[in-house]
Amino acid sequence: MEEKEINPAESFDIIKSMIDKAKNKLADDGFLIIFWGWLVFISALINYACILFSINAGYYVWPVLMPLGGVVSFIYGMSQRKKERVKTYIDTYLGYSWSAFIIAMFVTLIFMPVHGVKITYFFLMLLYGMATLVSGGLLNFKPLIIGSLFSFAGAIISIFLESEQLLLCIAAALLFCYIIPGHLLRLQYKSQVNV
Amino acid sequence: MFKDLDPLLHSQLRLAVISLLVSVKNAEFTYLKEQTKATAGNLSVQLQKLKEADYIEIEKSFKDNYPQTLCKITKTGLKAFEEYVKILKHYINP
Repeated sequence: MEEKEINPAESFDIIKSMIDKAKNKLADDGFLIIFWGWLVFISALINYACILFSINAGYYVWPVLMPLGGVVSFIYGMSQRKKERVKTYIDTYLGYSWSAFIIAMFVTLIFMPVHGVKITYFFLMLLYGMATLVSGGLLNFKPLIIGSLFSFAGAIISIFLESEQLLLCIAAALLFCYIIPGHLLRLQYKSQVNV
Repeated sequence: MFKDLDPLLHSQLRLAVISLLVSVKNAEFTYLKEQTKATAGNLSVQLQKLKEADYIEIEKSFKDNYPQTLCKITKTGLKAFEEYVKILKHYINP
């Protein structure tokens, strides 16, 4: 781009093309959604299998895999920060939305001994749905918006289920709310990068 | 030169930079260079002009031991851009 006299029509073209370039940048590559989707999905199924085969250690999958997930997410976040060359307002809003989700999730989990497993799973699925719906709205990505509805539905269904069935319910909610939309988001992100 | 149009914004590269910065929170020099396809030298000169007019803020720092130049539009810059677009509309639809 050089310095030259421009007319008003050219000015409009410049403004439009530049705003379009910034607008079309998809802010999320879907990695964390896919990663946490699979991690919690697998943890829930391992826990369920342990209950099914009367293995007592099943519950310990959570305090082992979840902190591990936290470490991987932290490392990933740091590496992304290094790569980041532009920060959009959507990036900021997404950050706040997921931070709110993480805080609310921790509070819910801390009080699990008080409220019990059933209510905890109910709130976790509501929180998954809420964070995914906000992300889907911000990214204007329909699979996330639709996926969030599965998590809300899972929360309602969980009220009528018993402990081991709750694990299957949360796994199903994550499959439709995180895993499938996450992979679709990643596909779109990659196609945008390869353009 | 078109009458009433802010001469600082009525330039191909400066207008492109401001239009990009209007849409994002902040952007690195390398991102602006890539999107505008300008040369580093020309972009530096134009960014300096926008900074002197208080249209943008330039923050120089280090990221992983490499120099980083971060640009952000100011309130003055945003107001000037809005005014520019308003006047531009009169030229297109008098």
